Amino acid sequence: MAMKRGPLQLLGRSFLDLVGYLGSLGMLLSEMLGALFRGRPRVLLMFEQIVRIGYGSQTVVVVTGAFTGAVFTAQTYFKFKDFGIESTIGGIVSVALCRELSPVLAGLMVTGRVGAAMAAEIGTMKVSEQIDALRAMGVHPVDYLVMPRFIAMMVSMPLLIAESIVFGLAASWLVSVVGFGIPHAWFWGHVVEHTNLEDVAFGMIKGFFFGIIIVLISCHQGLETTDGAVGVGLGTTRAVVYASLTLLIVNYFLTLLLTQFFPMGTGT
Amino acid sequence: MKPSPSHSPSPAPAVSASSGDSFIQLRGVEKAFGTQRVLRGLDLDIYRGETLVLIGPSGEGKSVLLKHIIGLLRPDAGSVCFDGTLLEDLDERQLRPVRRRIGYLFQNAALFDSLSVADNVAFPLREARVKNEDEIQQRVQEALEIVELGEHAAKMPINLSGGMRKRVGIARAIVDQPEILLYDEPTAGLDPIVTDVIDHMIRRMKKRFGITSVVITHDMGSVFKVADRIAMLMKGVIYFEGTPKELRSSRDPLLRNFITGRSEMTMRSGWGDRAPAHDNPIHPD
Repeated sequence: MAMKRGPLQLLGRSFLDLVGYLGSLGMLLSEMLGALFRGRPRVLLMFEQIVRIGYGSQTVVVVTGAFTGAVFTAQTYFKFKDFGIESTIGGIVSVALCRELSPVLAGLMVTGRVGAAMAAEIGTMKVSEQIDALRAMGVHPVDYLVMPRFIAMMVSMPLLIAESIVFGLAASWLVSVVGFGIPHAWFWGHVVEHTNLEDVAFGMIKGFFFGIIIVLISCHQGLETTDGAVGVGLGTTRAVVYASLTLLIVNYFLTLLLTQFFPMGTGT
Repeated sequence: MKPSPSHSPSPAPAVSASSGDSFIQLRGVEKAFGTQRVLRGLDLDIYRGETLVLIGPSGEGKSVLLKHIIGLLRPDAGSVCFDGTLLEDLDERQLRPVRRRIGYLFQNAALFDSLSVADNVAFPLREARVKNEDEIQQRVQEALEIVELGEHAAKMPINLSGGMRKRVGIARAIVDQPEILLYDEPTAGLDPIVTDVIDHMIRRMKKRFGITSVVITHDMGSVFKVADRIAMLMKGVIYFEGTPKELRSSRDPLLRNFITGRSEMTMRSGWGDRAPAHDNPIHPD
């Protein structure tokens, strides 16, 4: 008969599990950093992953960016109109897209699309002994499976976020200028006045770190998969949930940290 | 020198860098998964150039033993020595040179889903940095011809039957001409003709290239066709070790029943109720 655990024991167990999980993530991260120097570079695999992660995520990121820009513009317009400051929408939307909306929403969408695929693919390879087959042939699974995805994500994620910002702004322009009749010069003038390159860099640096989080957590779940098809399903779900939550939490601290280097300015 | 059948356990000696013509030495190997103890102080020598067949009831740890030989699993206690190198001293990257000398056929073939048959077989060559693509194609074709799958090079693994997948796995294991081949049930699920083809291939690999082989199988026909020596694993230790002739002539009821596939006695006493070799000496004629 299973012993009943008290709340303190449950709390302690959860804490130990968390420490164990973080330790395991740290081990994978250190293996990845080691592979940067000791592993064999696999350029072809890396380009394949850039196509799958970067090129393959275009639609998701563009649609997310565009409709986020559009709806944020609409909501802001409805409220700002009461105060007669609707002409400033361009500046507000562009800063919000650069610093928060595009990095976070694109990050979450890529987590759902790419992170889930990584965890499922690597997890399936694990339970069907394909990873053991790699090892048996002297190929380190981190070199072959994780590093190409890691580098591809480092390259793709900042660019995807930049793309999301561009399409978000374009949608905002359409809604503001074509939809609500705000003069183009007012809209664009406020964008230029309130946004500078640091704001774009702010978002792209966030994207870089989000990329690390997505690859690390998703590949880790894949490599740790056990128990056949059920395990692959669980691992995939965990990858998306853990990576999404971590991304949101890290986003807050990154915002505080990056603001020290790229303070919110008044633009050019 | 080939050992005589082991009748009693000897204390696990420390593995030396080289001892006789023993290629692989396992000493006092223990392995548990959770509370389940699979290997319980197993000792085994594998000699250069021989074909050793591992038999034993299902779930007794034969695949686990094979994975220790290539370093995919590490023992909880004891040691595995491959040609003078203690595997437990090596990390994953340091194991690479050892593993490059071994070909491994997995029970379910473990082909890479994303690669064609030809690319699966070429994989070890490309990893070994064979640059000449013509040479790679030629060696891949040769390996596929050996397992009689020459016309299926362009297919994807998903489009192959279970038996064909296994044969591709064999082609992948032999393509880089390893010094030792580990076969995990190479003929399970294959028809008698293909089984015979695989058995002949195992013999041919030994004759042509002097390859050392360790074969796990439950097919007693295959056992007697390919084995130079047979080891039976039971209750986590080697219960019997000897030549095919010695196994055939053994009067041990467990061995007799295993060879002939009779269940009465084993059902009555249960495999697990029998003590390992040191408590039940076997006296082959």
